Amino acid sequence: MRTLVFIPAWNEEASIAAVVADVREHLPQADILVVDDGSADATTARARECGVLVATLPFNQGLGAALQTGYLYALREGYDCCAHLDADGQHPPAEVARLLAEVEADRADLVIGSRYRDPDAVAASDDYRPTLSRRIGSGVFRFFLTLATRQRFTDTTSGMRAANRRVMSLFSENYSPDFAEIESLQLAVREGLRVEEVPVRMLERAGGSSFLTPLRSAFFIFKGVVVLLVGQFRPRQAEVER
Amino acid sequence: MRALVLAAAGDETTVRLTSQTRIVAAILAVAFMLLILELIRRDRLQERYSVIWFVAGLGMLAGAAFPGLLKLVADLLGVRDTNVALFSIVLLLLLGLALNFSVIMSRQAAQITRLAQERALEGVKSKSGEEALETKEERL
Repeated sequence: MRTLVFIPAWNEEASIAAVVADVREHLPQADILVVDDGSADATTARARECGVLVATLPFNQGLGAALQTGYLYALREGYDCCAHLDADGQHPPAEVARLLAEVEADRADLVIGSRYRDPDAVAASDDYRPTLSRRIGSGVFRFFLTLATRQRFTDTTSGMRAANRRVMSLFSENYSPDFAEIESLQLAVREGLRVEEVPVRMLERAGGSSFLTPLRSAFFIFKGVVVLLVGQFRPRQAEVER
Repeated sequence: MRALVLAAAGDETTVRLTSQTRIVAAILAVAFMLLILELIRRDRLQERYSVIWFVAGLGMLAGAAFPGLLKLVADLLGVRDTNVALFSIVLLLLLGLALNFSVIMSRQAAQITRLAQERALEGVKSKSGEEALETKEERL
């Protein structure tokens, strides 16, 4: 079983080396690919110093395009499964290993690490505290995505996921650059893939800050709802490679 | 009844373009088409994107040469004022063109993204290949 863990990174020179080291420790058997989404800083150089694979996009294109690059690489290089996590240190690799275990056991095609799946843990945890606008946004997306897919999702924007080859071939061709996280879930369910959530623990971000101001949040939420609505009327792909 | 007749008479006057405006419109249309040809000649505009503009120029010329055409279109649309019909048509045309360009832009954005991804993946291969060679040399 060959596994690829890829890490989309945009201007993460401060945290990338630590994240890579962490992944190595908890997932020693996996190959690691850092996808540098056109960083202006030394993210690529830092990653190369760690001795991992690095794909550098020539200019910044957004998280969706970076993630798709990872799926494309995993598909072409013949990996059996892949996982990705954020480069800012919010996602503990030990949790990623649990997601991968689900895919390796073939219990699901796509596994999402959810911060909110286990309400007791969320209440008890001091590790992760979402802001108000984030909580509202999460609620709206959760509601509409559950409506669209008829499947319960608690953490629609989670960037910690594991997937098998079916998902790789779907996402390497269809991946929305703007609303990667949410639309990809809708797409996967529509194409008949087994999508599953696993409760995970996430940490407070190590560096950088969220880009969301209230007005931007509102626009983000509005855009997301429109994208989901349009997604419901998209033609299904003829056949996902099985 | 009298009001109706007056309105009809008023209609007649608004419909007619003066010969002066017709000449100006014709000159503008010809100049526009010459500009398009010049842009193609200098490779500033690709032929496949120029057809629509050329058709627009021809339409302008036709409207200037045969004002009856405009009246006919206005009647077909059920618009009494020819000017309103003219503006509506032009507005719709521009709307269509803008949409057309958005479609082209979206397609090109997707192509650029894929191109960048392919380049990034090439970079992974060539780098890991170099490193493999280096370690091999070290071993030798």
